[in-house]
Amino acid sequence: MSAQTIKMTKVKSAKTPLQKFGTGVAAVLINAVLMIFSISCIFPLVWMFYSSLKLKRQFNADIIGFPKSPTFENYIRVLTNKDYHLTSSMVNSVRVTVISLFFIVLFGFVIGYILARVPFKLNRFLYVLFLMGLLIPVHSLLVPIYVVFNAAGMSNQWYTLIIPYVAFGLPIAVFLVEGFIKAIPVELEEAAAIDGSSFTHTMFNIILPVSRPILTTVAIIQSFSCWNEFSFALVLCSRNVKLQTVPLAMTNFKGQFASDYPKIMAGMLVTMVPIVLLYFIFSKKIIEGMVAGAVKG
Amino acid sequence: MKKKLLSVVLSTTMLTAILAGCGSSQTTGTSETSTQAATTDAATETTSAAAEASSDTSASAASGSSATALAYKGEINMMHFSTSEESEGNGGSDGFRTMIQQWTDAHPDITLNQNVLANDEYKTQIATMASADDLPDVFLLQGMNTKAWAKQGLILDMTDIIKNSPYYSEYNQAYFTPFTDGDKLYALPALTGGTCTVVIYDKAAWKKAGFDSFPTSWDDVKKANDYFTKNGYDYSIAFGNGGQWQANSDFLSTLGDRYTGPDWFQSIINKGGAKFTDDKFVSALSFMQNIFKSGIFNKDFNDVTNEDAREYFISGDAPAFIGGNWDESYITSTLKSSNQDLYNNIGFAVLPQPSDATYDENSQNIGLGYGIAINAKVASDPDKLAACVDLAYKLTGPDFSNYVATNYALGGLTKIDNVDLSKFSQVEQDFYNWSYTDTTPCEIYDSYVDPAVWSVCNTELQSLLNGEGDAKTVAADIQKAYEENYLNK
Amino acid sequence: MLKAIKPKMSVVAAFLAVPVIWYIFSVFVPLAAALFYSFFEWKGGPDKTFTGIANYVKLIHDGTFWQAFGHNIFIVVVCIVGQVGIAFILVLMVNSRLTRLKGMHRTFGFFPSTISAVYIGLIWTMIFDYKRGIINYILIQTGHKDLTQVWLNNPALVLPFVSIPLVWQFIGYYMVILLSAIAAVDNEIFEVAELDGANAFQRAIYIVLPLIKNMLMVCITLCVAGNMKVFDHIYTMTEGGPGTASMVMALYGYKVSFEQSNMGYGSTISVAIFVVSLIVIQGSRKLVEFSMRNKGVE
Repeated sequence: MSAQTIKMTKVKSAKTPLQKFGTGVAAVLINAVLMIFSISCIFPLVWMFYSSLKLKRQFNADIIGFPKSPTFENYIRVLTNKDYHLTSSMVNSVRVTVISLFFIVLFGFVIGYILARVPFKLNRFLYVLFLMGLLIPVHSLLVPIYVVFNAAGMSNQWYTLIIPYVAFGLPIAVFLVEGFIKAIPVELEEAAAIDGSSFTHTMFNIILPVSRPILTTVAIIQSFSCWNEFSFALVLCSRNVKLQTVPLAMTNFKGQFASDYPKIMAGMLVTMVPIVLLYFIFSKKIIEGMVAGAVKG
Repeated sequence: MKKKLLSVVLSTTMLTAILAGCGSSQTTGTSETSTQAATTDAATETTSAAAEASSDTSASAASGSSATALAYKGEINMMHFSTSEESEGNGGSDGFRTMIQQWTDAHPDITLNQNVLANDEYKTQIATMASADDLPDVFLLQGMNTKAWAKQGLILDMTDIIKNSPYYSEYNQAYFTPFTDGDKLYALPALTGGTCTVVIYDKAAWKKAGFDSFPTSWDDVKKANDYFTKNGYDYSIAFGNGGQWQANSDFLSTLGDRYTGPDWFQSIINKGGAKFTDDKFVSALSFMQNIFKSGIFNKDFNDVTNEDAREYFISGDAPAFIGGNWDESYITSTLKSSNQDLYNNIGFAVLPQPSDATYDENSQNIGLGYGIAINAKVASDPDKLAACVDLAYKLTGPDFSNYVATNYALGGLTKIDNVDLSKFSQVEQDFYNWSYTDTTPCEIYDSYVDPAVWSVCNTELQSLLNGEGDAKTVAADIQKAYEENYLNK
Repeated sequence: MLKAIKPKMSVVAAFLAVPVIWYIFSVFVPLAAALFYSFFEWKGGPDKTFTGIANYVKLIHDGTFWQAFGHNIFIVVVCIVGQVGIAFILVLMVNSRLTRLKGMHRTFGFFPSTISAVYIGLIWTMIFDYKRGIINYILIQTGHKDLTQVWLNNPALVLPFVSIPLVWQFIGYYMVILLSAIAAVDNEIFEVAELDGANAFQRAIYIVLPLIKNMLMVCITLCVAGNMKVFDHIYTMTEGGPGTASMVMALYGYKVSFEQSNMGYGSTISVAIFVVSLIVIQGSRKLVEFSMRNKGVE
């Protein structure tokens, strides 16, 4: 195959000036489109940051412009107000997110793998069962959820939020893993089986490493949905202030009839710092992982 | 994978630690407000202690405990929406928090677990808890939920508690109506009594347009609008209905009173035969549709909230604004520090009278929308009940009224004679007098009946004001919701 | 399916037991409870009155619910094209050898997905704002003041406008999923195709698409499911208004349950959302499978 490629390269590399020009235009176009897209994606962060350096008055007078006299007052107010209990809510959010992620990735991988590879009676039934989980309208189900968790004595506990986060995170994980593993050639496992590898061993020692890209993807996607989740946190955990997560603590920034957007933005940025920083620090690794983990067909 | 996970955990904890460090090192900054509150406490402490002594006799009928101290030692769960953010500049909220602080300081044996959520989230959560029959011990009840929750035995019948209150004679009886079912009372009205419909205007601007005070007829407003639009303004009155409730609370509720008179709404409340499809109410709706079409309001009134709209007034883009007392306190406190000229020119007025309306042209809707209610289950523990009642008395009693009167020129449930307003500015005094003495009070619609009715009303009203549909259909839909959810219950 | 590995059923059951029970408890028990409540008149509180299928009869005649359903379908269609479609094109672009700063695009592209929906709504409310918003600002600067309007208050435009933030936020989300799928495809295939003279469009349709068919299906499923229950964005931007012009099913269910304290009927709406979503999602999967087959993918 590679010999053929080289041959073809030789043939095709003799491009006419017109073709070269076409490629040049395409390159400019592609890069421009991507650049516009990327800027539009990152702009809100930049805008939130410089807006958070304004006071409410300046912000309301001009929501787009740069601050004329930047001030960190909003940050000081956010960080020094004990009522926002940012520290404890941050710890809670980290704990809930990390533990939930662990279970989502573990369960998602195991179930996704089994559904993709093991034929058994309930296979398709389970698949549909997880599909259904994607369709639950959480916001209009808050009351039944509250009633069920209360009846089971599981609301307002340190582990409370982990239960729905894992359960509602599983369907996406299962789908992604299942779809990914189906695309992996079966020969890999067949070879392992011939070598005498057990099912469990194959799953965790051969398939798991290969599935790294998709598991990373699952972890990224789910970490943000856990971190930002609000409805469950409100309904199941608001009674105990010590268990409040970041989004719930954030509601303390809002009054009934007063909303101070720059201050809300300062609060948002403070609470986003851990997760966004992690994202930017690891994004290179994450993407490398995706590419390197690719299975060669 | 494991390594990565570990590093994730590690760096996150590190970050948290850093942030925690920032937080604690700078805490000294904001504890100011609480110490300030504490000094004012000291002054009122003696009076409140005396008051408590007498207040306990009523509760002790049930508990048999000593009258001077509360026998209960344990936890009380309380839910409210006075977040610290809200208490900045909002007198009612600040007073409420201050009273709670005073009460917990006075009762160190009792652990008051406060669950404080912003108002939107509060409403969702309290509805969820009511559905699960799992309400907190003490909480803020919205008037329109009173009848439904009382009927289901969720909230304690507080009739005797209120009648036996040491402050009973000082209570403003009119404020109890939203929390009444038959002859029973279910809550002690809390926070500050304030208008929901006030016209705030720039006297200087209107003078230029030829009006020494705000016009009393809408035709004059339209005339002024001709002047304003030719002289640098885009419109005359800023209004924000982005949340859908504003057009009802801050406009229709008063306008309706002008067309139907107070008896009609009492009849709606008492199931006395009045209908939303009655001509008088339909006229109010069609007037409202027309006036919002006439161009005297900002074009985006249906899209922006009242918070946005009042900024139009503050920035000088609009010569007038219509909103509630919460907007008034925000506008005045903002202008006081940023624009003295405009601040000194602030005037207050009632809604102008439509030409075909026949009732009191000086009315404005005022009341206390929330009351302190007690979970019916608390009654099984007399000591705990006594403590909850004591807390409720404290939060709605003279201490609270004095606090908000002397600090904010606002009124609460308890009437106060001879409020010394001299230390307040002319504008603040004007608003106090406008609110409590110079105008005729009328009811706030959504403190009554059933939430479903107002949900339908608010949604359809928004479309109506956009010029879609007609008043008759909207009235019929409101009536339908009224019959389904209230009349036939 | 695989033949060489035949694990004992007991092993499989052992692996599945805990997560499946965990999942059913938190997802299906509340749904079953909602199904139960949907047969009651329940205004919130301990009292419930059994009314049989009255709530379902009401639902069938409830114009607002079906209007909301129509809005959901509109949003689903826009988002399949907008989210998954654009993500697919951008992924191809990112993978092109002509592209510089690939890492940056991948990193930035996903960023909006990290922000909570409520804040996305807030940010876009300000972009659409009549007085201070960016759209009207640009129109005025370019001399088109007559074109400015209150975007979110126009019943005819509000739905497309609230869909824009949804599309924008989740493009990166599907990019990440598709990128990891394409990472699994041998790069040589792209190169060979490119050298073969296949143009970009042909490459996309005939080579890349079939290879990531499974993942694309997953994306479409996620996209349909996510948008059938879309809530936060619209709640923040318009609360379903003006009137009910941008009402969606989940928001309607929430309003009925909490704003109107009608928990019984609210539960009926939740059950209905679940059922119609199931139908729509199965339908769309069939549709996609069918259209893929037509492309000679198998």
